[in-house]
Amino acid sequence: MGRHLTARRLAVLGIAAVCWAIAATFLLRTAVPGDLRLRHVDSAATFGAATVRRAARYERFGNWDWLASQVATLGVLALYAKRGAAFARQSAAGPIGTGMLLGMVGLALVWLSNLPFGIAQHWWDRRHDASSEGYIAWATGDWAQLGAAFLSICLALVIVMAIAQKLPRMWWLPGALVFVAIGTGFQLLLPYLVTLGTKPLSDPKLLAAARADERAQGLPQIPFRVEKVSDTTDQVNAYAVGIGSSRRVVLWDTLLDGRYSKRVVNVVMAHELGHHSSKHLPKGLAWYALFALPGTYLIALATRRRGGMARAEAVPLGLLVVVALQLAAAPVQAWISRRMEAEADWKALQTTHDPQAARRLFVSFANTDASDPSPPTWAYLILENHPTLEQRVAMVEAWAARQPRK
Amino acid sequence: MHEDMADRPVRLVVTDDLVRSRATVLFRLFLAIPVYIVVAFWSVAAFFVVIVAWLIALVHGRVPNGIHEFLTSYVRYTTRVNAYFHLVANPYPGFSLLGAYPVDVEIHEPVRQRRWTVFFRLFLALPALIVVGLTGGVGGSLNLRRDPTTTFAGAGTLGSAAAFLGWFASLVRGRMPRGLRDVGVYSLGYTAQTYAYLLLLTDRYPSTDPRFAGQQELPQHPIRIEVNDDLGRARLLVLFRGLLVLPHLVWLFLWTIPAILASFAGWLIALFIARLPLPLHRFLAAYVRYSAHVSSFLGLVGGPFPGFVGKEGSYPIDLVIDPPERQPRAGLLFRGILVIPAIIVAIAYSGIANTVAFLGWWYALVRGRMPSGLRDIGAAAIRYQAQTWAYSFLLTAQYPYAAPTLERLPPEPEQLALDLAPWAAT
Repeated sequence: MGRHLTARRLAVLGIAAVCWAIAATFLLRTAVPGDLRLRHVDSAATFGAATVRRAARYERFGNWDWLASQVATLGVLALYAKRGAAFARQSAAGPIGTGMLLGMVGLALVWLSNLPFGIAQHWWDRRHDASSEGYIAWATGDWAQLGAAFLSICLALVIVMAIAQKLPRMWWLPGALVFVAIGTGFQLLLPYLVTLGTKPLSDPKLLAAARADERAQGLPQIPFRVEKVSDTTDQVNAYAVGIGSSRRVVLWDTLLDGRYSKRVVNVVMAHELGHHSSKHLPKGLAWYALFALPGTYLIALATRRRGGMARAEAVPLGLLVVVALQLAAAPVQAWISRRMEAEADWKALQTTHDPQAARRLFVSFANTDASDPSPPTWAYLILENHPTLEQRVAMVEAWAARQPRK
Repeated sequence: MHEDMADRPVRLVVTDDLVRSRATVLFRLFLAIPVYIVVAFWSVAAFFVVIVAWLIALVHGRVPNGIHEFLTSYVRYTTRVNAYFHLVANPYPGFSLLGAYPVDVEIHEPVRQRRWTVFFRLFLALPALIVVGLTGGVGGSLNLRRDPTTTFAGAGTLGSAAAFLGWFASLVRGRMPRGLRDVGVYSLGYTAQTYAYLLLLTDRYPSTDPRFAGQQELPQHPIRIEVNDDLGRARLLVLFRGLLVLPHLVWLFLWTIPAILASFAGWLIALFIARLPLPLHRFLAAYVRYSAHVSSFLGLVGGPFPGFVGKEGSYPIDLVIDPPERQPRAGLLFRGILVIPAIIVAIAYSGIANTVAFLGWWYALVRGRMPSGLRDIGAAAIRYQAQTWAYSFLLTAQYPYAAPTLERLPPEPEQLALDLAPWAAT
């Protein structure tokens, strides 16, 4: 009987793994030609030796700071998983309310343990002119995010624990589906939230270029918004948000302060539109679903010895498992993200046919964003969600080399 | 553990009979001007005398008898004047301390004081001054940047709200409502304690504990508060209290919408059947109880994280709400207007609750426990606010009782001996 059950489980697991692999293969398809070979780029010659040294130095600190903060987080959560259930005594609520309290306390401990590293990073950013935000403004600005995180963890625990009370062993399956549904709703809603306080792009030349890019990529008109960040940083950035009718592109106003030509800005816009035309945001949700299913299963498995997620006492251990899984999945997620970014770069080149502007943009990142053109391998594998600047410049050159000579 | 009343160095003695002369109530503001001029002159003198007292106490560890007597007289006189102005007492206070007055302060003889507490007295008094200052109202409270000749009226917003409402009530009825009078007593008493401490008349810290505030009689009310809290506070939960309460605030907001709709529906039904239907009563009672739990948690009046359903007996700071009762239809019809004075007092109480939360947060973060005095005045504020909600939601026909009282004690008609002394031992 037991052997029969195990065989059936293995069969189910095998089928699930095959389905997972098929879905992942489908999602990994990219517009970047498979035969594209990137040549080595001489960083010192391309970006300037001094710039490379400065960027490498800047990022090195951030990388180690991050690593230390992760070690601290895991240490704190491991201790919390062991002792945290004692905080249940501080609750007059039922199991779910107590679970919420334990979840929030865990988050508070993680925040506290990360605070010194956050302060250190902010000090480093200010020292390298990556941020001009004061410490108090930085600390107080963080509270709103922290509040949102507290509410999010409560919502997640309400869902998990409520389902787990009904389905103690199988909660992970509907739980994952509910999270994907929430993620989808969030993606629909997010564009309206993040564009609060932004202004529409008003430059007629840029707007005309954006419309041309949209046509070239087979997209309908997508609103372009400008976010004011110049009072806190001079770094440049842009991002694509939303799915379906809520799609938006947001440009930081630092991109439009005159340091960059309209051709360069157009490359950025075409890159962001590339995310939309390649359906990266829905694909991101699909990836989220692919990770959520095994993730929730592993959480359910790990917390069973604490009575399962229906019990508040299991929450501290659940938090540890979540963070450990996130860390374990980070390299894969970074790799997927880099593939998407590379595809958006490729689409930007295909749209603008302006490799000079693209090259200028990527070379400038080493200066404005102090991005290391060639980060250490471990940091690249875990932290880099974009191709390195070397790779991006190499792609520009590879694209140009494939174009017929005029 | 609370101190013995006899040991308390600052005692407010109240023999007021609540009767008010309508004519003097009507012109109270103008009648008070001459006595406040006297207070102003006296304040100038007291300012210089207390500097001398401070220097002497630093050297000798005690304030000389003559100076102690002078400053005691100053505190007594200003308390009398403020009591008169805030309608806590009826007779004109006159220009001296000769003769008895229905609201008076008794202060012990000078004793040795620890020199370091003398040296830092102004700084040590700051939390108490915040309680007086943040609740400062029309009477004018201490402002450290103000001209030192300014008097310390200090009855506070709560006292001022009570005086404002009491003015109307006294004019109509010729009598000050006991609850409003006792609010004034509490405010005056705490202010007197604070200034006795500041002026080096005692080294006992002022106590906010409402048990000492002379509300010797708490009338039976369908909405009662029960305090079974052990004062212990987990520091981590104190540090993140503002964030930990967020899910409750969201839930409370979501609950408020149907609660308002239910109370409106209940009002329409009650106009016909003269009582709130039981299901609506249960629903609204749970809402009021839940909001009291959340307020307690947020304001550190309660320690543990509350539940989300407002279940009776589920929280150390809990409300007992009696079943629905028959109510006069006229009272039901005009409930929206009748509740306005209670809302004014409730708003004043929210100032107290905020102050309790602010000071209690710091104290509990350092000591891992809440001072009983702060906890109790916070509980009294929550009790009043809950009674106001309950009254406006038709859970009871009985008006909220304004005095900051928690316990029902036997009445003492002869004399209200009010000890407003020290920080209660925790």
